[in-house]
Amino acid sequence: MSGNIAFELVSERSWRRGLNNLLDNEFAGWWKTRMWWIQCLIWVGLIGFIVGTALFGTPGARPSLIDGVDLYAIIAGIFPAVGVVIIMQDTLVGDKKDGTAAWVMSKPAARQAFILSKLIANSLGILATMVVIPGIVVYGMISIGVKASPSPLLFLLAFGLIFLSLLFYLTLTLMLGTFFKSRGPVIGITMAILFLQQYMIGLLPVLRYVLPWSLFVDLSNPNVRAIVPSLLTGQPIYSYIPIICLAVESILFILIAVWRFNREEF
Amino acid sequence: MDTTLQPRLMMNLVMKGSTPPVIETHSLTKTYKGVEVLKPLDLQVHQNSIFGFLGPNGAGKTTTIKLLLGLIRPSGGSASVFGMDTVNQSVDIRSRVGYLPQEPHFYEHLTARQTLRFVARFFFKGPEKAIEERIDEMLELVDLNEKADRPIKTFSGGERQRLGIAQAQVNYPELLILDEPAASLDPIGRRDVLEVMSRLRKYTTVFYSTHILDDVQRVSDTVVILNKGALVVQGPIEELLAGSEGIVYIIHVKGQLEETHMQLLSQPWVCGIITGQHNGETTWQVSVTDPQVAEAQLFKMLSNDGVVVTEFRRKSYELEEIFMQVIEGGQNVR
Repeated sequence: MSGNIAFELVSERSWRRGLNNLLDNEFAGWWKTRMWWIQCLIWVGLIGFIVGTALFGTPGARPSLIDGVDLYAIIAGIFPAVGVVIIMQDTLVGDKKDGTAAWVMSKPAARQAFILSKLIANSLGILATMVVIPGIVVYGMISIGVKASPSPLLFLLAFGLIFLSLLFYLTLTLMLGTFFKSRGPVIGITMAILFLQQYMIGLLPVLRYVLPWSLFVDLSNPNVRAIVPSLLTGQPIYSYIPIICLAVESILFILIAVWRFNREEF
Repeated sequence: MDTTLQPRLMMNLVMKGSTPPVIETHSLTKTYKGVEVLKPLDLQVHQNSIFGFLGPNGAGKTTTIKLLLGLIRPSGGSASVFGMDTVNQSVDIRSRVGYLPQEPHFYEHLTARQTLRFVARFFFKGPEKAIEERIDEMLELVDLNEKADRPIKTFSGGERQRLGIAQAQVNYPELLILDEPAASLDPIGRRDVLEVMSRLRKYTTVFYSTHILDDVQRVSDTVVILNKGALVVQGPIEELLAGSEGIVYIIHVKGQLEETHMQLLSQPWVCGIITGQHNGETTWQVSVTDPQVAEAQLFKMLSNDGVVVTEFRRKSYELEEIFMQVIEGGQNVR
C-alpha cells in the first residue's frame, strides 16, 4: 500500500457530500456521449421541420408571426415533454433496477446529492438540447419567414416558460421514480398527465392554473389565450398563477423525491 | 480538519489493539413485512481483525452488512461503526469504509479505470497524479491493468468481482466490508483475494461474509455464524476449532488397558474419559483441565507394558464440521 502518498480529501459535507463527483458523472452522461447531439438532432429536426413547414410550406403564402409562434409554442411545449419523460423515467428507476444506485449509495455520497445531480445535469441537458438550441433555430426561421424579427427578449422569456414546463415533467418523473421500482407506473402516470390535461382542464377548469397545458394551448374560453404565444406576440398574459404554480410544484416534487429517496432501502 | 490520508493510517497503526470496537451492534434487528430477517444481533468487531461472517443463504449476512453501511434502516436496536451511528452518520462511516457488494453493479459504459476514478473522487479531490497512481496500483493488484480501458459491459463475472475488490480498496479504507469476495473467482483468484486480505490486516479491519469455509479457516481470526437471522456462534477461530468440550485428547490404544485407564482417571487434571471401540481398537477421549500438564504427563502414562498406542492427538474441529453441526443440528457448539 502506498499509504505515504498524501491525498487531499473531499471537503463537501452534509447534503453536498459527493455532489461534485455525481454531477461530473451525470454531465459526462450528457456531454461526453452521443446523447447531446442526438437530442439536439431530434428536437431541432422535429420542431424546426413542423414550424418550417407551416412557415414555408405553402408557396406564395405570407405567414404571420401569430401563426408561427402559436405553432412553436404547442410543438416546443408538448413534444419535448415526451422526450423528458422517456429520458427521466430511466434515470432513477434504471439505476435502482440495475443496482448502480445501491452501489453509489455505498460510497460517501448524500442521498440528496444523488437526486440533485440527476436534477441539475438533466435539467441543463434538456434546457440546452430541447429548448435553447431548437428555439434559436426556430427564432431564425420565424425571423426569415415573417420578415420581421420577434423580440429576442420575449423569446428568451418563452424559453424560460418552456423550460419551466419541462421541469414540471422532469421533477414529476424523478419523484415518481423514487416511489416505484419499475418503469411502467412512472412512464404511465406522467404520460397520462401529459396527454389528458386538455380533458382534465375541461372537467375541472381550475386545473389550468396547476398544469402546464395552459402555457401552450389555447383553452376553450376565447378570452383565455395560452401564455407562451401571448408572451411571444407581446400581448398581456391572462394570469401569472400557472407560472408560479409550476415553479412551486416542481420544487415540491423535488422535495418529495429527496424525502422519499432518503427512505429508500437498497 | 484532517485533509490528508497519511495521519489517518498512522493513527490506525499506532492505536492498534487499544481501541474500542470498530463495529458494535446492540440487539440489532431487521424486519421485512412482518418477517424478522435479522434477530437481535450483538456483535463486536475489533480493530485489525479479519472477521468471518458465515451462514447459509438467507441467514441475514447481507442484511447485516447493509445495516452497517446505512443502506437499510434497522427495525430495532442500534449499530455503530467507528463509534458513529449507522443511521445518522452513515455518510461519515462510508467515507472510512471500503465495500464490495455481493453482486457488484457498475456503470456498464464506463471502463475499469473510469470506474475506479469515479469511486476515488468520492474520497479524494487530488492531487491528480496521486489518484491516477492509486488507480494503477489497484488495477495491478487485481490484475486488470490490461483491461483497464475496456468498457465494463465486456467484463466477465470474475473480472467484475476483481474490479469490485479494487474499488473497495481505492480509498485506503480503515474497514473493508466484503460480501462474498471470493464468489465468481477461480481458485487462483480466490487465493489472491485471501492474500490481499491477510496483507491488509496491519492497516485495516476486514469484515467479510462468505460460505467458503476453507477460506475462513485460512485467514480469519474471529468468526460469527448466523442461521435464520440469529447469531448461533461467535468467537476466535482457535476456540471454535477447539470445540465445546474443553481440551480433549483422542487416543487409540490396544492391549491391557484397565490399569492405565484407572491411573488416568485418578489424575486431578483428567475430567473424564469416554471409551469407544473402533476396528478392534479402543478409543479414549480424555478430557483434561490443564493442557500443559496433559502434554507433559499423558503420553508418559500410556507407556506401560501391554499398552500399544496407535494414535495420539489433540481433538480439533474443522470449521465445516462446526458449521454443519450448527446449521443442520441447530446445536450451539460453544
